[in-house]
Amino acid sequence: MPEAIEIQLKKGALELCVLALLHQQDNYAYEIAARLADAIGMGEGTIYPLMRRLQTDGLVETYLVESPAGPPRKYYKLSEAGKRSFISQQIAWSSFSSAVEDIIGGAK
Amino acid sequence: MTRQAFIARLQEGLRGLPPQAVADIVADYDTHFSDGAAAGRTEAEVAEALGDPNRLARELRAESTLSRWREERSPSSAAAAVFAVLGLGAIDILILLPVLMGVGGALFGLAVAVIAVFFAGGVVFAAGPFMDPPGGASAALLAGIGLMAGAASGGAILSLVSIGLINALVWYGRLHYRLLKPALES
Repeated sequence: MPEAIEIQLKKGALELCVLALLHQQDNYAYEIAARLADAIGMGEGTIYPLMRRLQTDGLVETYLVESPAGPPRKYYKLSEAGKRSFISQQIAWSSFSSAVEDIIGGAK
Repeated sequence: MTRQAFIARLQEGLRGLPPQAVADIVADYDTHFSDGAAAGRTEAEVAEALGDPNRLARELRAESTLSRWREERSPSSAAAAVFAVLGLGAIDILILLPVLMGVGGALFGLAVAVIAVFFAGGVVFAAGPFMDPPGGASAALLAGIGLMAGAASGGAILSLVSIGLINALVWYGRLHYRLLKPALES
């Protein structure tokens, strides 16, 4: 069932991808959703519940920025806890993915 | 689907949640349409990328109800959680329904029995000593206390079992999210 595997992979990586994007720079939800939808094919609508959960968990904070057209825009940034969480998840991901890479490569 | 139709269906589907929560959610998706328009996408394209608003609303609502159940163990939040899971409408949940009704009925019967035993204990405790029972007045007092204590512990076990069952149902229900699934798994 390749489809099930793909869903499981995306599920694990989604939060890490959001944290990574926010680690590069503060951003607003549409931009995050658009980048992830293009890159890993995530449904755009799922970004909002995810952002709310990250906010509840204290990993991200929001602030408003006046926008030239339309209402002020809600930006997200990593909190201190979010930065720590990102660093530790990044390390865990790298070691895990390189281990998987080794095994898959060895199977050729 | 137009922006207006999407927002209207989302709003309709979220009805029953606290107004502030609905306003927050709707504002998020409304902004999404504005940002999409600014990026040069049509309303239909944005709506397509967001997914079915009815399904989205059902899952958002279930999630909000289920988190209320996690924070607050009350009969009303329990009932809301059970209905939210049923509202997801997955076939295998509906197949579970008769089983659930049986289990729920049995639990309710046991709860009534426990309450009855508790009151019976109270009656034995209060009236027993005057009825000239075998073993004397103190035996009746002790028997009354025993019955009430037994009923109280039975009631405690019963609530633990009910909480466990509802938690299991909630876990099972969350497996049936389609749109929100990747966003909510922690």
